[in-house]
Amino acid sequence: MVYTLKVPLDRVGVIIGTKGGTLRLLKERSGAQIEVDSETGEVILHEEGAKDPYLAYRMRDVLRALGRGFSPEHSLLLLKDDMYYEEFDIKDFSGKSRKRGEQVRSRLIGSDGRTRKLVEELTECLVSIKGNTVGIIGDLEGVKVASKAIELLLSGSEHSTVYSFMERKQRDLRTARSGF
Amino acid sequence: MTEKWGICHIYASYNNILVTLTDLTGAETLGKCTGGMVVKAAKDEASPFAAMKAGESIAEKAAEKGITNIHIRVRAPGGNGPNSPGPGAQGVIRSLSRAGLRIGRIEDVTPVPHDGTKPKGGKRGRRV
Repeated sequence: MVYTLKVPLDRVGVIIGTKGGTLRLLKERSGAQIEVDSETGEVILHEEGAKDPYLAYRMRDVLRALGRGFSPEHSLLLLKDDMYYEEFDIKDFSGKSRKRGEQVRSRLIGSDGRTRKLVEELTECLVSIKGNTVGIIGDLEGVKVASKAIELLLSGSEHSTVYSFMERKQRDLRTARSGF
Repeated sequence: MTEKWGICHIYASYNNILVTLTDLTGAETLGKCTGGMVVKAAKDEASPFAAMKAGESIAEKAAEKGITNIHIRVRAPGGNGPNSPGPGAQGVIRSLSRAGLRIGRIEDVTPVPHDGTKPKGGKRGRRV
């Protein structure tokens, strides 16, 4: 199967890396062929030649995460088992107004990125906010809590409510993680 | 006849996961398993754990029928709903390959509208 994906032009450089280093790493780790069109931002993933089709399949999420502002190191975490990627569109919550979109995004980030950082710390996930999208990388339980928290923030909950929600979930997270 | 192929259709939504094993034409169902069949709590139906269980049961059925290689078709709800498969899809694929089935191709067959119906949420976005 061939999987095509469009990434923002400012992310093309990240996918390719210095002298194509990152792209080479991506190909090596997944065993799949990857083509990048630096004019249009089109990324083509050829899954045919891959030794492990599952890894090549996971590569789709890796490429999506890269396009949504994650660093290559963080995106490649998705090749591990039990790592999940979740994406939100801020516009789904804010509507079409550009101004409202910006307001909602600012609430998500917080002053000096405090809110985003807190979500990352309390859920042990990685959160990236770029343009109108929010990406989350983490283990299943973490992603669940983080996406709920982000949903609450996007739909207008107060910050303190969301913080206490995450703190309440802390215990659940700990037990769920130690269960394995 | 050393290699026998089948297709494994996976429909992974956020609420459940449906796995159907068919022959190569897709018309003949050889076995099916869902998240709801392997766990009892409704909230766990779409979990990777339920997916692993479902995958194992499908792998068993495949072994019974003598299928050694499978293609996989992953599907999310699609349409105007979520276009990316839920967390269960990964679990099924993993358990299938753990069970020793050779995986051929993984295909995404999520129905994508050529601009279809209006998504829910309305002009002012989603309000809770």
